Order: sequence, then C-alpha cells, then structure tokens
Amino acid sequence: MSSHREAPNISKDPVADNTDLYAFVSPDKPKTVTLLANFIPLEGPAGGPNFFEFGEDVLYEINIDNNGDGAADVTYQFQFQTQTRNPDTFLYNTGPISSLNDPHWNRPQFYSVTKVKHGLSTVLGSNLPCPPCNIGPTSTPNYAANLAQPAVQTLNSGEVVFAGQRADGFYVDLGSVFDLLDLRPFQSLFFNPMANAPGVNGLDKINVHTIAVQVPKTELTRDGSNPGDPNSKKSVIGVWATASRQKARILEKGKGGSKESGPWVQVSRLGNPLINEAIIAIGDKDRWNATQPKDDSQFVEYYQHPEVSGLLPNLYPGVFPNLAGYSKVRADVIAILLTGLPSGIINGFQNYTGKVQSDMLRLNMAIPPTKNPNILGILGGDLAGFPNGRRFLDDIFTIELRVLAGVTIPLVDPSFTPDAAASQVTDGVTPSNITNPYLTSFPYLGVPYDGFDYPGH
Amino acid sequence: MAKLTRRGFIKQTSMSVATIGVLAAAPLAAIPDAPDVVATDAAAAEEFSAAELSGTLVAHVRDLATGEISLMSGTQEIIYRDPELVMRLMRALP
Repeated sequence: MSSHREAPNISKDPVADNTDLYAFVSPDKPKTVTLLANFIPLEGPAGGPNFFEFGEDVLYEINIDNNGDGAADVTYQFQFQTQTRNPDTFLYNTGPISSLNDPHWNRPQFYSVTKVKHGLSTVLGSNLPCPPCNIGPTSTPNYAANLAQPAVQTLNSGEVVFAGQRADGFYVDLGSVFDLLDLRPFQSLFFNPMANAPGVNGLDKINVHTIAVQVPKTELTRDGSNPGDPNSKKSVIGVWATASRQKARILEKGKGGSKESGPWVQVSRLGNPLINEAIIAIGDKDRWNATQPKDDSQFVEYYQHPEVSGLLPNLYPGVFPNLAGYSKVRADVIAILLTGLPSGIINGFQNYTGKVQSDMLRLNMAIPPTKNPNILGILGGDLAGFPNGRRFLDDIFTIELRVLAGVTIPLVDPSFTPDAAASQVTDGVTPSNITNPYLTSFPYLGVPYDGFDYPGH
Repeated sequence: MAKLTRRGFIKQTSMSVATIGVLAAAPLAAIPDAPDVVATDAAAAEEFSAAELSGTLVAHVRDLATGEISLMSGTQEIIYRDPELVMRLMRALP
C-alpha cells in the first residue's frame, strides 16, 4: 500500500496514519493546486456502530517547501472536534441524515483550518462541517448531493477545503504484492510458478478519510508569483503530509477518558508514495515517520541500493539479469525521489529542488494538466503525472516497480541496458479496477462506499 | 510564534500551590540550560487557551541522573533541571 499501515508503531494508530498524498495542478481550475492527504487506512464501509472519524487529539498538516531546503514554508493545519448530540443511544444516527445539520446525526464532526506562513499562523476557518460516513441508503440518502457536496467549503482567503470520508483512490494488488511480490500477470515467471492471472485491486470498496485543500498557485510560490516557466526553480514545490500527537497522554482510571499535554510530536508522514512502505527497512520505519524531510540524507543508503531491486532477480529467476549485475549506486532513484530531476534529463521537464536530500512530492506547477493523461506519468511521456506531483490515476505501484527494476538507470548511466521485463512488469491493476470512479471536480476522490451495499470488508 | 519563558509558563499552568513552591525554591543556577518554550502554533494556542489554563500539567523526569524534568501544559513544554527534587521524588517511591 502507498503508506497504509507501513510502519510498526503507526499501524497501531490508524487515525493518525497517512495513507496517500496527492499534489497536482487542478485540471478544472489550472490556476490552483490541489493538495490532498488521506488518513485512516482500510475503512470497511460497514464498520459501525462507531463509524470512522478524524482524531480530535491529532494535528493533521499538509506542508509545502518552496525554496528547496526540505523545511515547511507554508503549512495547512487541520484540527477536529466531535459532538455527541445524544449520549443515551448507541446509534451513530437516530434516523436518516438528510443534511449536515440534521439532528438525527449523533456524532457530527467539525474542524478548523490554520495556515502557517513565514512563521505567522492565521485561522482561515473554524467550525467547518465534515460529512458523516456513508452508512447506507436509509441512513445517508443522496449522500453525494446532500452530505458530501455541502461539506466542500470555500474560505474567505480563497482556498477551498474538504475533510471527510471518501473512496480510497489508490489501486494496487495488495494480496500479490505482500505474497512475496508474486505478481499475478507474471506468475509463470515467479520462482514458485503458477498460471498468469489478472491483477486484483486490494483497495477496491474501501474508504479513507480525506483532508483536501485547493490553493491558488500564487499562495505557494516563494515570492507570490504565478508559475509560468517550467524551467524556473520558483515553479517547483515539495509537499508532504504529517500527523502529530501531543507528547504526553494520561489515561484516567475508572473514567474511560484521557488527557493530553505537551508539544505536538510527529508520528506519521508521507511525501512520495511507497517510500516508508518499500524503501525504508523495518528497523528505521518508526524513526522515518518522526523525521522531517530536511533530515532525510540519513536514509540515503536505502535509495542507493533498494531492497526491491535486489529481490527481483531472485524472485523472478533469469528475468532480470542486467539488474542483477548492476552494483552501482542508484543515482536515478535518488534523483527521482530525494532531490527531483534537474533540467536536461527529460525534455521540457525539471522538478529539482536542490542538493538537500528530502522525501517530498515535487510538483512543477508550471506544467499544465493534460486532457489525455497517461497512468504511467512521466514514464509514459505525460509530464503532468508522477513523479511530477501525483494524480489519483497515476499507477504508482507500477511506475515505482519499473524504476526499481532499472528502467530509469539509463537516465544517469547510459551504459546500462534495462532488462526487457523492466518496462513490462506490473501488478496488473488500473483505475478501471476502482468501483466508485474519481470525480471531475474537487475533492476528486470518489463517493465513499456505503456499508449497506458494500458490507463485505 | 509566541515565545514563553519558564516563569511565564509556570504562571500560566494550573499547578498546585505546593508544586509551585517546590519549583520556586529551586536555585536559578540549577536551570542554566532551560530553553525558552515555543508554542507550536500561536493562533491555535490562542484558540484553546481557556482549555490550557484549566488543563493538566504533566511532569516527566527525563533523566534521573541529571535531574532533568520536562514540564508540559497545553501544547507547551519546558525543560527544568533539579537533581535535588528528583532525589526527593525518588525517595517518595515505595
């Protein structure tokens, strides 16, 4: 998974667990950028009676670096409060929830948005409503129109925000990936061979909780300019999301509650997808989650010789002979994931943020969105896709698997010839394997699956 | 971001009189490296200031050997060094 349950400690703390991060020039509003962070992995739609909520004791943040130092220059903070309207029932809703202020909704959740820029905090909005979880046609009728859309809020400062449940838009064959990378379309080549089969999207019919903000580009550049030149350093931002908890928590014996105290301590983060999942070793995963991007050079050895690149030739005997013989430092992986790609490597593109090695989702905001996106992003010749930021439809697993298989080594080492399989390998899952499709407007992720119609998870 | 001194921090918290007395008795020389405390978010701190004033004070003895104590209230933390106090706390353990 991109970052669902990716580290030992955070896997035990789902409300603070980043699952995916997206950053792209909004296709329907190209003067803006959409930043969207998902939390709470693997929400089964029928998971009542206490349906999923953001943590009131968690500080959620989307961070933007616009000068390449791996530290946040602009941060959007989200904090949540929950009401219990009727403590004398076990029900999440005592009747159909027909609007965001319907008294039948027993656990409404509200949030504040604070922007921190140049060290100055500004509360942009407070008491903003979340939608309820999508329970079923009786409890949450006309969910999209009556509950989700009214929760899209335009702030006086110009940003548009949403916080609430959505369908998970990430797609990957979890079952095969975690069964020792036994990719179904390539099972006949696996060391334990079986007949090839189509991929299965392990995240289909699963929900997450989304925090999304749509921001004018001029709010994100270092000097407030409108990024128009793809070659300019000022056009590139680095984005990551975090969740933090207060340092101390005291459980109150006999009361069932707790008290928190102390400064916020980062417990989860996510920049590029699959990093803490599949690049960082298990002994460092919790520390990685607590680290800021500016300090990521300490993890560079995981990028220099990625574990997956070493595993592929063993898992698929004879399929990756050139990769097996490549022992040099993977400068291509470091460039793509830790510094961004400088000018001159890919025609018409750069997202280089400088020498500071930092895991950030780097977006060149001057690259316009395309009407004909390629799910392989830049590997597929589409400069508006990953690793130029990340869109929902980008086939992250396949892109990164092919990178780790060596397909991008020639960008930095022309003497290397990738194995034929490096540009073919995939888990066989595409956006067509997502039941609730992406939307064409903010917040773009599909309507969350309801528990009545999708009870199986 | 709002900076806070140790004195201001202590003043803002809801510590018991007895605890304040203990801290006030500590020699200033005992806390030479106590840093200023920086609220993570001045606006948020302001928003929740009422809750902080009536909230919990947590004292965490970080290092028995050096007598380093972390005091936390709201979203603020101050590091305090008092080996003598830590020794007395240790003696209170059964």
